[in-house]
Amino acid sequence: MRMNRILGTLALASLFLAPLARGQEPEPAADPKKPDDKHKTEETWFAVTGGDVYTGDGSFLRGATVLAHNGKIERIGFELDFPADTKKLDATGYRVYPGLVAISSSGLLGNSSSEFEDTIDPFSQRMILGLASGITSTGVGNSAVKLERFRIAGAVLRDRIYSTFSWSSRNPSGKQGLRDKFRATADYMREYRDWEEKVKKDKELKEPPKKGVDNAVLSVLRGDTIAKFNAGDRDDLLGIARLAQDYGFRPVIDGCQEGWTVADELGRAGAMAIVTARDRRPKDEHQVIEGGTNIQNASLLYRAGVPIAIAVQQTGVDLSGLVGRDIMGLTIEAGFAVRGGLPEAAAIASITIVPARLLGVSHRVGSIEVGKDCDLIITDGDLLHYNTFVQWAIVDGRIAYDKQKELFFAQIRPRPEPTVAVGERKLDKGESKPEAGKDEADKSGEEKPKEEKPKEEKPKEGREVGALATAPRLIAAPNRNGYRVGGKPVARLTE
Amino acid sequence: MKTTRSRRRAFCAACAVVLGALAASSLQTAAAQQMQGKQAVVAAPRAPLAGEKGGPGLALLARKVLAVPLDGQQVVDNAVVLVKDGKIEAVGPARSTPIPAGYEVQDVGDKWLMPGMIDLHTHIGGTYDINDMVYLVNPGLRVSTSVIPKNEALKRDLASGVTTVLFIPGSGVNMSGQGVLIKTGHERYEDALVRAPGSLKIAQAGNPEGWVMGIGRSFMNWDTREMLKRGQAYAKRWEAFEKGTGPRPERLFDLDVFPDLFNDGPDGHKRTQVSTHTQMFQVVLMTITMLKGEFGLDAYIDHGSLGGYRAAELALKMGVPAILGPREIEIPTRQIIGWTNSDPDAIRGMGAEYQKRGMRMIGFNTDAPVIPAEELQLQAGMAGRYGMDFSNLEGVRGLTIVPATTAGIQKRVGSIEPGKDADIVVISGDPADPRKWVEKVLSDGKWVYDSTKERRLW
Repeated sequence: MRMNRILGTLALASLFLAPLARGQEPEPAADPKKPDDKHKTEETWFAVTGGDVYTGDGSFLRGATVLAHNGKIERIGFELDFPADTKKLDATGYRVYPGLVAISSSGLLGNSSSEFEDTIDPFSQRMILGLASGITSTGVGNSAVKLERFRIAGAVLRDRIYSTFSWSSRNPSGKQGLRDKFRATADYMREYRDWEEKVKKDKELKEPPKKGVDNAVLSVLRGDTIAKFNAGDRDDLLGIARLAQDYGFRPVIDGCQEGWTVADELGRAGAMAIVTARDRRPKDEHQVIEGGTNIQNASLLYRAGVPIAIAVQQTGVDLSGLVGRDIMGLTIEAGFAVRGGLPEAAAIASITIVPARLLGVSHRVGSIEVGKDCDLIITDGDLLHYNTFVQWAIVDGRIAYDKQKELFFAQIRPRPEPTVAVGERKLDKGESKPEAGKDEADKSGEEKPKEEKPKEEKPKEGREVGALATAPRLIAAPNRNGYRVGGKPVARLTE
Repeated sequence: MKTTRSRRRAFCAACAVVLGALAASSLQTAAAQQMQGKQAVVAAPRAPLAGEKGGPGLALLARKVLAVPLDGQQVVDNAVVLVKDGKIEAVGPARSTPIPAGYEVQDVGDKWLMPGMIDLHTHIGGTYDINDMVYLVNPGLRVSTSVIPKNEALKRDLASGVTTVLFIPGSGVNMSGQGVLIKTGHERYEDALVRAPGSLKIAQAGNPEGWVMGIGRSFMNWDTREMLKRGQAYAKRWEAFEKGTGPRPERLFDLDVFPDLFNDGPDGHKRTQVSTHTQMFQVVLMTITMLKGEFGLDAYIDHGSLGGYRAAELALKMGVPAILGPREIEIPTRQIIGWTNSDPDAIRGMGAEYQKRGMRMIGFNTDAPVIPAEELQLQAGMAGRYGMDFSNLEGVRGLTIVPATTAGIQKRVGSIEPGKDADIVVISGDPADPRKWVEKVLSDGKWVYDSTKERRLW
């Protein structure tokens, strides 16, 4: 089983020309020329222990451990066993969420105007600010990418996601033209399937003609790409819903400002929406019924069964200081959707798993699940609260961002130094150091790991080592099974 | 004399609105006509409801009241607020505050009550032609002539719990005119008016450089100073006349704001303030040293952003309050952005940096429409996010009592205290939190926004 996994990882890694050794060194550790060199394969284990884990699929595990193997989540749970050389990050008292997925951003690590990988700047300061905002994956143009620091390999999750179409009441002939393309393409596909059957008997039969067939439409109807529309007017939304129902595809509607007025129709059509909670647009004065933007848009669409991804108004990082509106304010925008009535869990989904699905990368990112990439954020509070900061961002099972070690936010409510390590307990004011064994006096019959501290347990020393290389707080308590990490306060590890 | 003059000014402003309706200018006419139509609706006889002027009393029960007086008890739990004739009559714990007979009791349940919020830097109170750039100093221009009460933007302001705004001219020139303090929830200018002039808008630098090629801060400071000297002399003549020690001066309409700026009112305070568009360090220094130090004006930092916090200790010493926004942080730009003249070592929150230097009078503004009017609360939230300590309700105070005190209207608005206007917001929690929303707004004892009865605007 594990062998399969390793082989799978190898195959995947060679596919992306990724370094086989997902080592802890920041530079691209392996050279892509020798992907088959098994001697260089290094098993990497990483564990985030003791945090309150919000998996993103509805579950909440207090004080649980997330264990990653070679960058993928291996296990989630309590009292896990794992190898001795596992790097550990103690998240006790913090919350662990899946890394956020921004449905769209710009400038965080490149642009998709041409081959995406050619444009990536893995040292971008804006990428750090993106990670600091909790974003570990993002849609950029027509690609989905990961915020991989210091390397380019593996950054692109998926290319050519969307086929973008225009559907606007201001261009009636364009609407008719698109409908014609869909009809011709659907007819062609039907004829083609028919031909595929018949050609088995009659080898001479000619392929059906591709007249009027649009390749973008074809890829949508085949399910290769996702149809995306930029639309906000009620009439246009209804038109798109009708088109989608007629030809059996699920459109992604970017904008969707008046979606709340036709939420049921969009829900029935299986539409998915990219919504900015604070979008502002007045009602068309010619329209008799209600229209314009509404703070409740996301909420009403959600209640009608439309999957919602929250986008920000300004997709780049605003260096001029207008905060709460740019990509760094993704959670703030989700907060405004909550203001409009979206349940908090749905708001978190709207910046994690739903955009991952819209981008077609939900098998890799968007929630904390076994087998997915170990992309996590560890926050000091409720993700949607305005005061919450990302303390660490983990990408592929490695610490990609540590608030205290980067230039930008370290001085804002600095993270308290770890005060508790194995066998130690923080003393209250006026309390004298307890005698050895006193704590365990009433817990008989359990092994006492107190004296067997491995050397690397000195947390402060561990933190001095390079920013990304070393997990800052190492807590390993040996027991009879090898090593275990309890998701509980360390003082109780001895139970 | 003083009251006559201010009354006359209010009358002039009102006349201007009506005249605007009569004039054939497009936007203003349409808007003013709309306003007139609404006046007709208002004029229809209706028995005043509980809390309104002339109506029965109103008792509001709430789980929590963020009363935020300048000093004293900030929060009252399980409270009752009594409103009569558009004024707050009493506030206190429900068990010890008897509700008089005949008062209508409204329980807002788990929602909180807080004072109506105040935004001291907005441009959305009326028509948008408020940035005249013919001369570099225009102390005589008045945006009170451009007010469109309860326009669409003000309605959104209201829906976010902002009941009072300072509507000011733009910052295209150094002295772009007089602002006006108005309430957002009223349909007639006379009802909406809190004070005219609400302030004299001075933009010391940052935007007026664009007025003409080749002007810089030296000239702009010199020019502003010269005008202030003229104004000071004019004000002195009026002061002498009012005290009976001098002849009646000739009335100069372009300098008419200066007696209000320089001379004390009956309460011993200046009758209006200088709202200074000032943000960079050197410019904020000039605000403090020139406007406050040299001329003794009641000046405050408005639109405070960027590196201005480096002058916060001086601002504190000189008693210059700081209203911050819409740029709430400063980012290390490595000189990508040259005009800020500042390149901090890390991301610095404006509120946090002012607070760190001892400032207590820290408020927030939006600069609507740069940041939409309805996002005033977010300005507080962002100040908190980037390091400002809210443990003594600084966030709430920065939205209410601090701007009220800064603008000299703390006797009427800014907190839930007996005797003040009944401007009360029903909100679902901490106003700095974007998730918390405004359910209802009471302004002068009248429910002017009620999301349970009309479409939610925000």
